[in-house]
Amino acid sequence: MTKQDFLRELENVLELDVNSINEDQILDDLDNWDSLSVMTFIAMVDEKTGVTLSASKLADAKTVTDLIVLLGDKISDL
Amino acid sequence: MINPMQLENLTILVTGASSGIGRETAVLLSKLGASLILVGRNEEQLIKTRSLLDGTLHRISAFDLSNYDEIPHWIKEISSVAGPLHGLVHSAGVQFTRPLRIMSSESIEELMRVNVTAAIFLAKAFRQKGVYASEGGSLVYLSSVMGFVGQPGQSAYSASKGALVSLAKSLALELAREKIRVNCIAPAIVSTEMSEKMFEQLSPEQVSHIKAMHPLGLGQPRDVANAIAFLLADTARWITGTTLVVDGGYTAH
Repeated sequence: MTKQDFLRELENVLELDVNSINEDQILDDLDNWDSLSVMTFIAMVDEKTGVTLSASKLADAKTVTDLIVLLGDKISDL
Repeated sequence: MINPMQLENLTILVTGASSGIGRETAVLLSKLGASLILVGRNEEQLIKTRSLLDGTLHRISAFDLSNYDEIPHWIKEISSVAGPLHGLVHSAGVQFTRPLRIMSSESIEELMRVNVTAAIFLAKAFRQKGVYASEGGSLVYLSSVMGFVGQPGQSAYSASKGALVSLAKSLALELAREKIRVNCIAPAIVSTEMSEKMFEQLSPEQVSHIKAMHPLGLGQPRDVANAIAFLLADTARWITGTTLVVDGGYTAH
């Protein structure tokens, strides 16, 4: 998945408009980054990349960039 | 002294025998005297399960149950070598969390293929002439408390486990003439690799909430295996079309 694809998937998970999120976005500033969204995000990552994210690692992520870092080589720069 | 749950001289097929509840069930059934046919996708893990069993008359068959159309022929071949089957436990299952926002038809179909369609084809395979023992048999499906109560993100999984509860009723009536009994076990959360993986994806608050939902604590694989053995053995001779809830009090709330 490319970085752009990832941002679009994240917007879909959070039910936000397309192109409304960038990498610097602070997660806690998003109204709907709640427990159901976190569950949905983990499920999306599982479905799209096969990676099982742990909730404790996810809790440490502060920004969208931190989420991208968690996925390592599953996200390409293009 | 009598052992009403003894399974001597009975041949029982267990799916999902490569780990968790299926593996523990195989171990217990072997201690009760059964000869087992261990089914799973990973042959190496099945060999490991076999090394844990009592007795020596156990077989391994690596098979992917999502190829459900091949199930009847495959079971026929097994029984032509191993002899007639007296019981079948469908412990293989797929579980994942999919809130509606990201639900896909592919994920629903993957879940239904193994959890439900394979369950029906296993019954179709078991009831073939020459496959089941002339004195009858017992089919046990692994449903779940999620077949009775809900949880956000579990809609497709719940639907598949609820399907088994009603499947067992219709099959019980259809197969009564052949003296084949059909029942389900509905466990709550049991400590296995599968539940460990699920807990990893939840916050500490969610995990402690789920644990608190089990008044007797989380289950052990042996708790479920004991109930399965009961339904397979002569102890359940007069029980068919029902679901035995084994949940540490989860659904008593």
